[in-house]
Amino acid sequence: MNTFEFFNENFGRYLVEQSGEPHKATSRALSSNHLLAKGTSCRLVSGWAIVKPGKTTIQLKLAAKGLQYDDRKWHEAILDALENWDNEPTLFMIFDKSPLSISNLFLTVDLRAVRICTPSNVQTFDYTKEPGNAAPEYHRVLTKMRNKRVR
Amino acid sequence: MQKLKITVNLLTPIIFGGGYMTFDALLASILFDQLGDVEQAHSSVPIRVTDGLFHASAAILEPIDQSRTSFVANLRADHSIDPDLIFKNKKGAIYKAMGRTRRRDFGAVMNSYDMITTPTITWYVDGDPDLISSLIHDTTFIGKRRASGFGEVLSWDIEDGELDGLQGFSGEPLRPIPAERFDGDTSCLRVDAAWRPAYWHPMNRAICYAPEMLS
Repeated sequence: MNTFEFFNENFGRYLVEQSGEPHKATSRALSSNHLLAKGTSCRLVSGWAIVKPGKTTIQLKLAAKGLQYDDRKWHEAILDALENWDNEPTLFMIFDKSPLSISNLFLTVDLRAVRICTPSNVQTFDYTKEPGNAAPEYHRVLTKMRNKRVR
Repeated sequence: MQKLKITVNLLTPIIFGGGYMTFDALLASILFDQLGDVEQAHSSVPIRVTDGLFHASAAILEPIDQSRTSFVANLRADHSIDPDLIFKNKKGAIYKAMGRTRRRDFGAVMNSYDMITTPTITWYVDGDPDLISSLIHDTTFIGKRRASGFGEVLSWDIEDGELDGLQGFSGEPLRPIPAERFDGDTSCLRVDAAWRPAYWHPMNRAICYAPEMLS
């Protein structure tokens, strides 16, 4: 199963019709308007989502059933997922005003190469190591949060 | 086909722009410049290929230094953009009015890259030494931002190698190899990566065993 089949099976199918090639359905899910729980609709323009096999957690309160909604901030949610790593393929996504491109969508399957997918880039880092000077921003933030929890 | 070790000696730092820079990708880009056809370029790469998987390693190097470098490009309304080529709104005008005097109306674009300083890069491949030599012989720059002077080649060395471009001496992957096709050391890094050309195409990705990523 590739990244897009994984995305569609665990997240995309709750948002858009699954037709055509998997990466096209993924692109539609990430760029189309979706009905929110409050009745209006919008794209995935803010918050975060963590997609795991059979379980997707998302911050934005959509009307879609089958998803879990969670108010935590992105760093709390991702840190918990990394600290309780279960070796299952996982998609870490952070949304912003511009749509998340499918070319920025990568699964994380190993803590030594965690990939946080955002509209502007994909931040890749080794979570088992301390961040160096050139470490991506999210690696530094997550390590700082982890060290704070330990104290 | 023959097992080879190919080394490039560099004069200037190199920019990869992400990815593994496998040797088949490097040859395919040289071939594309000559042939102008993506499919033909990929099928002409003189390296052993098994069910789409090229026997060519990722770039192997030891960086002396790694840092970021940025470039800013300013679009000039009058001499960079032909309005006829820009998508129009319902009224037939372009979406953003382009100013012709103030810099902020041109639209400055900044791109940042990871820059690697290293004296040499090595690849292991199973391929045709004569055809490979003829392709790389005149290649004087590799990587991204070549026109800005990055990745300048001093010389190429081709010698007999001991590895097939897929696995190292300890069974470690030398390039992204789909997990179900990898029979080496399974304690190595697993990543979601493109394993066959075109490497930019998201549909060519799979969970792979792969070397450590440089950036």
